Amino acid sequence: MHAYETSVLKALKEKRNSTFEELLSDSGISKDAAMWALESLSANGMVDISRSTSNVISLTAEGDEYALKNLPEMQLLIMLKKKNIAVRDLGKKEMIGFQWAKKKGFADIYGGIISLTSSGKKVDEDKYEEFIALKSIKSGMYDVSSDIIDELVKRGLVAIKKSSAIGSISITEKGMHAKVEMGNGEIDVVTRGIIKNREWEGRHFKKYDVGLDVEQVYPARFHPLKEIISGLKDAYASLGFSEISGKIIEPSFWVHDALMIPQDHPARDVQDTFYLETPSKLQIGNDAIVNRVGEEHEAAWHGIWSREVSGQALLRTHMTSVTARFLYGMEKIKAAELPIKAFSVGRVFRNETVDYRHLADFYQSDGIIVGDKLTLANLFDVLSKLFGQMGFKVRFMPTYFPFVEPGVEIQAYYKERDEWLEIGGAGILRHEIIRAAGKKTTALAWGIGVDRIALMRNSKIKSVAELYNNGIGWIRRL
Amino acid sequence: MAGVSFNKAYLERLLRFKIDDKKLAFEITKMGIELKGINEDYIEVDITPNRPDLLDAVGFARSVRHFMHKAKPINYSLNAEDADMLIDVGAGVKKVRPFIAGLVAKGVSLDDSSLEALLNFTDKLSETYGRKRSKLAIGIHNLNALKPPILYDTFGDEAFVPLEYKEEMKYSRLIEIDSRGRDYKYTIKGAIAKGMFPVLKDAGGVLALIPIINSERTKISESTKNLFIDITGTNKYIVEKIADMLACMFIDMDGDVKKVAVRYDEGIVKTPVMAEKNLSIDLIKIEEQIGIAIGFNNVISLANKMGYNAKLIGKKINFSLPKYRLDIISEQDVIEDMAIAYGYEYIREMPLYASQPGSLEADTNVDRLVSRLLVGLGFTEEANSYLVNEEQNFTKMRLSVPKKDEYIRILDSKTHNITMLRTWLLTSLMKNLAISAQDSMPQKIFEADLSFVINNGKAEERRGVAGAWADPKANFNDMKAIVYALLKGIGIPDFETREFSHNSFIDGRCAAIFHKKKRIGFFGEIHPEVLYNFGIEESTFAFELDL
Repeated sequence: MHAYETSVLKALKEKRNSTFEELLSDSGISKDAAMWALESLSANGMVDISRSTSNVISLTAEGDEYALKNLPEMQLLIMLKKKNIAVRDLGKKEMIGFQWAKKKGFADIYGGIISLTSSGKKVDEDKYEEFIALKSIKSGMYDVSSDIIDELVKRGLVAIKKSSAIGSISITEKGMHAKVEMGNGEIDVVTRGIIKNREWEGRHFKKYDVGLDVEQVYPARFHPLKEIISGLKDAYASLGFSEISGKIIEPSFWVHDALMIPQDHPARDVQDTFYLETPSKLQIGNDAIVNRVGEEHEAAWHGIWSREVSGQALLRTHMTSVTARFLYGMEKIKAAELPIKAFSVGRVFRNETVDYRHLADFYQSDGIIVGDKLTLANLFDVLSKLFGQMGFKVRFMPTYFPFVEPGVEIQAYYKERDEWLEIGGAGILRHEIIRAAGKKTTALAWGIGVDRIALMRNSKIKSVAELYNNGIGWIRRL
Repeated sequence: MAGVSFNKAYLERLLRFKIDDKKLAFEITKMGIELKGINEDYIEVDITPNRPDLLDAVGFARSVRHFMHKAKPINYSLNAEDADMLIDVGAGVKKVRPFIAGLVAKGVSLDDSSLEALLNFTDKLSETYGRKRSKLAIGIHNLNALKPPILYDTFGDEAFVPLEYKEEMKYSRLIEIDSRGRDYKYTIKGAIAKGMFPVLKDAGGVLALIPIINSERTKISESTKNLFIDITGTNKYIVEKIADMLACMFIDMDGDVKKVAVRYDEGIVKTPVMAEKNLSIDLIKIEEQIGIAIGFNNVISLANKMGYNAKLIGKKINFSLPKYRLDIISEQDVIEDMAIAYGYEYIREMPLYASQPGSLEADTNVDRLVSRLLVGLGFTEEANSYLVNEEQNFTKMRLSVPKKDEYIRILDSKTHNITMLRTWLLTSLMKNLAISAQDSMPQKIFEADLSFVINNGKAEERRGVAGAWADPKANFNDMKAIVYALLKGIGIPDFETREFSHNSFIDGRCAAIFHKKKRIGFFGEIHPEVLYNFGIEESTFAFELDL
């Protein structure tokens, strides 16, 4: 007796009657295993199974095709209605059609030429009995004569499956008396019974072929980009930075004006920035701030500034808008709390023509430290530590950004290519900005391209666009 | 950033010393100029927008010479004697392009390379710093072919022979048939609408249609020795500063630069103005802001390296601001230059002590919890673009497209299939499943992120989470179990499930989740038409919840 049979019998001996579901739970074996065991025990008269059976009629793949296109003899018939056909011109499928058409007396052959018989000429292919039968079966109706079904089954177009469901199971007297084999049988599945009753003792386990191929499974996982972001946030927090966040839809003021980006700067063009149709204007709010910023612009950019332009609604082009709102919104700074360190990570937008290298939205991270007498040397130290936390060696080069002075390009060493790559920008915030924010202090600020970090951290990712491609296969095999 | 390329032989002539490619690349990188490429004949660099003076080979060479201590900065000034030339500014240009500056440069020796460089530079400058000629444009004329006095005003449609043309042509025709006309007529559209054109004229007729094209009559060539330059634009300060910048350039080209009088209603301005400007900064302030010790012995040499004439007066350094620079707004700009001169690589990192602990936003912690739970439940995370279009967000999801002011619409996207911000997350997941159709089942994905709606006329950014499960073996209750597990996991055990009608789902197989009488989400079986629209071939169950 097989272990499955043993398990089933043991479960039934306690209860005598059982439903299939109860049996599964009592015996602790799988559905397939239980079915097999019950069939076997029933054949040996050890259990009685009451079942409800029904016939399920379904189309085969071929039948399914003909339910749509009509049967091959009808397809041929349609062709023959137009003209006679030489038998040597028939394909394999058409040949089947001819054989059936001939059998049914619709077509005949003389001297290698196939033509319709008089009864064939009268056939309406749409009302062809077999075709209608196939269509009914496909739609789930079974009111088809058994003759037709027999024919269709013979032609391999329809399959009949017996579907049986197990109602209840009871154990017979023979079953009750059957000796449930213990001891020497090989154990395949370790059932609950085997464990509880120590039935493995003195028995062998069936050996498995450990070299067999298996179907591949994949772990569910975090998105690689979100993992990088998570790591970046932790790196910031470990260095004493607090996370801040802000809006994606902003008036131009917070993205540009508050940062001293001149109103005629090309970065503000519709060529580079996504302006919105709805909503098209947004309230900036604090008039005192707007006025101060306006004055700084007029002084620095020789009179070029308009309040109207600063209210245009857009999608933020950098995270520095979050930094700006933070700086301008800071309560009176308490000396004891300085320096204050904050960071943000989020999506930014550029009006790009999207292709495999260019994206219209991507992730950036901004950081800011506000404190008295902060230096470029402090900035370099903080950036070295931040990138050090993420495993990067960085160096600094002079460059220009409208809102910082001195301006710094952050470059990270990329081992795979033995190259220094730009990974962000930094600097000391312009005093005009600090002044407009109503503060008397200094601020260090920077922005980092998160996608670039992701690319440099995972050499399997080939391009930025891949990061947002998101096919599940790509993530599974990463 | 503006990419510009210089002829290497010409550049070397201007540098007046030999330099190999590697050394040149090394030095300019330290100056903050990015090298884009270099070959036998040309060097291509990226110039940051604050330094238009470096777009010019002469100015570029000048700065390299300073930086490498090959030359001491000179104080650019003009001979006392002005050019005998007056530009009268008429009332017509006031509303179009009100400002003009002029300068005369005599005895300039041009050749193939310097002429090419000069024309490339003025073009590039008008294009970048001049914002495609709208803010500023430059014209160069042969002084000898020109008959003062000069008038700058608007005129009706007239004919002249434009540069490189053989026959006369009317302004109105020129702006249609010539590429420069078509490209730059937008800068004067206000005047054109009234049938007027801003024009520069001398006693001999038209000198230029501003800011589009010069006349053939005053065309310059390699043999031209004496030049007249006009600079027109919308901002007086900038127009006049560019005249200063060009004056410095011609002085470096051994030209004798002379002032031109410009007469406005308000009075006469002589350009180039060449005003002296000085900034006096404490050495200690420079040292403190950078975080270095420079010392009085080195500071003048560092200033010279960046083109400043500088003097030590007590503890202060008096910087004379180079007249070719437009970007120096305050002492912070000078301090940056001193940091560059010192060399970023020599600035020792200095730690900053702060005792506050770091912290993460509540949203980040919620996102992390949700993501961990869903990955634990077998769902893989996605990160999709927020930018979509109506077809993806609404139509393919069997939803009708709302009125235009009911969702966030983007203006003038360069990419045609980007028109709006997604209003929900599920539409992105459907797209993910569509491109994953070839991969093995089951596919379980989720995204916890933002979507965007307009609520009571206000743009709203919403945090949420959505999940989708494509699997021929899954059913409604399997998905329901996932949603329940997630809700309990994020601390919402007291929710209620009610039947819900949503066009993206099969009717009768969709439910809404209510928490404290508020609908917080929904789930169900996606309608086959939605699956068909996206090309998804397996039955799919999905949910979306507010966070």
